Amino acid sequence: MSKRESKKTYFLRAKMSSIDSRLILGGALVLLVLIGAGIFLLSQPGGSTTTTPVRSPTPTATPTAPATTPTPIITPTPGLTPTPTAAPTTPAASPTPTVLAGGREVKILAAGATFLFPQMDTWAKEFRNKYRNIIIEYSSIGSGAGQARFLEKVVDIGATDPPLTPANLARAKQDPRGVIQMPVVIGAVTIVYNLPMVEGKLKLDGRIIALIYRGEIEKWNDPRIAALNPGAKLPDAPIVAVRRSDASGTTNIFTMFLFKSSEGAWERERVGVQPSWPIDQVAPARARAGRGNEGVAEIVRNTLYSIGYVEYTQAQVARLAMAQVKNAAGRFMDPTPETMMAAAAGAFRFFPANPDDDFNSAWESVVFAPGENSYPITSFSFLLFYKVYPKDKAEVIKEFIRWINTEGQSVMAPGYIPIPEEIRRYNLRWIELIREG
Amino acid sequence: MSYARVSSHDKIVFYSLVPPTLFVVLILMTLFLTQLYHSIPIFDVQGLLNTYTVNRWYPTQSPPELWKEPHYGLLPTIWGTIYVSGIAVLLALPLSISLAVFIEELLPRRFRGYMSSLVDLMAGTPTILFGLWGLSFLGPLLKEFFMEPAHEGLGFLPIFSCTPLSGTSILTAGVMLAVMIIPFMVAVIQESYKAIPVTYKEAAWSLGLTRFEYVRLNLSMIVPAIVSAVLLGLGRASSETAAVALVVGNIYALSFCMFSPTHTLTSIIAANFGEVEMYPYMRNALFAGGLFLLTFGMIINAMGIVLLRRIRF
Repeated sequence: MSKRESKKTYFLRAKMSSIDSRLILGGALVLLVLIGAGIFLLSQPGGSTTTTPVRSPTPTATPTAPATTPTPIITPTPGLTPTPTAAPTTPAASPTPTVLAGGREVKILAAGATFLFPQMDTWAKEFRNKYRNIIIEYSSIGSGAGQARFLEKVVDIGATDPPLTPANLARAKQDPRGVIQMPVVIGAVTIVYNLPMVEGKLKLDGRIIALIYRGEIEKWNDPRIAALNPGAKLPDAPIVAVRRSDASGTTNIFTMFLFKSSEGAWERERVGVQPSWPIDQVAPARARAGRGNEGVAEIVRNTLYSIGYVEYTQAQVARLAMAQVKNAAGRFMDPTPETMMAAAAGAFRFFPANPDDDFNSAWESVVFAPGENSYPITSFSFLLFYKVYPKDKAEVIKEFIRWINTEGQSVMAPGYIPIPEEIRRYNLRWIELIREG
Repeated sequence: MSYARVSSHDKIVFYSLVPPTLFVVLILMTLFLTQLYHSIPIFDVQGLLNTYTVNRWYPTQSPPELWKEPHYGLLPTIWGTIYVSGIAVLLALPLSISLAVFIEELLPRRFRGYMSSLVDLMAGTPTILFGLWGLSFLGPLLKEFFMEPAHEGLGFLPIFSCTPLSGTSILTAGVMLAVMIIPFMVAVIQESYKAIPVTYKEAAWSLGLTRFEYVRLNLSMIVPAIVSAVLLGLGRASSETAAVALVVGNIYALSFCMFSPTHTLTSIIAANFGEVEMYPYMRNALFAGGLFLLTFGMIINAMGIVLLRRIRF
């Protein structure tokens, strides 16, 4: 302070600074209002007031059908018997009702796996375009919470990446409302890496990935990696193993794959949505964890010599290099929709006879499933339905199940893989288990 | 204010203030009791001391009867919290003092308001933005220009001993938190600095002190404020969640090396709470972490407030 400050100027200055902050506050307020208005305007075209064309192969209903048309309600998909050898019905042939629940507004609450959120959101929108009075709301709260909310019966549909745990399934089966577990989308986990000097695709197998995530393979030029990648310029640099920090179905599938494919290098008790990682004790400096698929992708992108695992969708969005992974038949497979569908189709034979049977062993068989063209880290995500619903909801749920297994499979969110034909038929059989009550 | 001067009208006004005050206190109590209530099961299963002193985090679905050793130890996360916020405060303190003195003493008067508003704006910025900045800008920058040279030149020091492999690390989180707590520390220091009576300052000038001696004298009068700024900064840094979770690496490990990742108490709660229902007792372990954080934060903040009260001119 060069000049001495009198009390008067001291207060004046205090006043001035408060005027400045008021100016800034005012400016911020105006900015907020502008942003709010912008968001509102942007949301209008895609909002509920305009109808987007239905991309389904059989546009049976006009989206703007007035709710007053008293069309008789037709039970969807007749003629399906609950035997595994049922004759396939072509989706397009099944008659669909044009009005559900007599045009009354029905709100279906669904909650669970974050992985399913984009797909369920897409389905909810398309379904609403078809039936204007049906609102399906999906909360993305995680698989564990999805199972818990389903058992507490506070939602109409549960969603989970792994099937119901044996304990949860026992609880669900004891309940008079019962349970139907339904695999609806394929989830695949890709191995991504940041090695700009390596040309072509890196080839890895389960044992090597397990040893990397144990901290035992320390460098990229390890002879075990080099043996799988002859000719690749593997750097003499430590490997950073990136994983999920939050509990996740992706981690569950990934660790299940490690357990099944690594010939004993990964223990059964380290399989789970949030397992314990041996590298933390061995070499924490070579481990990192990010929140969500985005978090892992971001760390891999920013970290040279890193390896990570992310959902196929996210790996595509992030444009990360994806490794070829050795499948049960000994072939190195690229993660593509074709190889994932092949894996899913190959896994179908492990499915239980009833939808309220334990899916866990089936789900475990799906990962690293046999098949020449199967991508090995493939799995399913499940929707959970009750067998008994109130009158209007029963009708809506039946139609929703029919729809997601027929037309819905052609309106997939970007990066999501539809389920193969035989699984759709398997799912469609359970519609008649649903009744009003 | 003495009660003798309170009129009957004033009394009504004052009594009307009692319920909201009680309400706030009640909420704080329920906050504490919630943490305590949900922590007790994990203390029953593996012991209070074990929960806070064991370096082992092994989520399990098996029932506690089968546990051979404690599965949910919080020690590395407590260490991580202290380490990260310690770095933050150590870095933020000289910067905050400098900034506060600069604004008060050197900045031309007409810019002071703007500068103060800018600092306030920083305090009001959503923390997640700092997190994104830390993840995609600060982390890579620190790795390239600080961590790697420091490791090569001073690798014999334990704090620089591990190879820096990624931008996400204890150091990155500490530096990011330093930036985030500076506005709060500046506010505390600046307010006290302003409150030094003008007569004192005039006296200092009249003694013919140099500007440096003058500033040092002024600062010596507000030492309690500086200490309380440190404590408030520590409280804030240890409670930050979203931004820290992005840059701290989220690895359950106890490490003294700055370039290694860790978990903080807040980041382990944030990371695990989503799927907590898959593992029995993990929820309780996380609440035990919350209980520790709450107690720690209360003590730190209380110390800060008590110290701030001690300034009397």
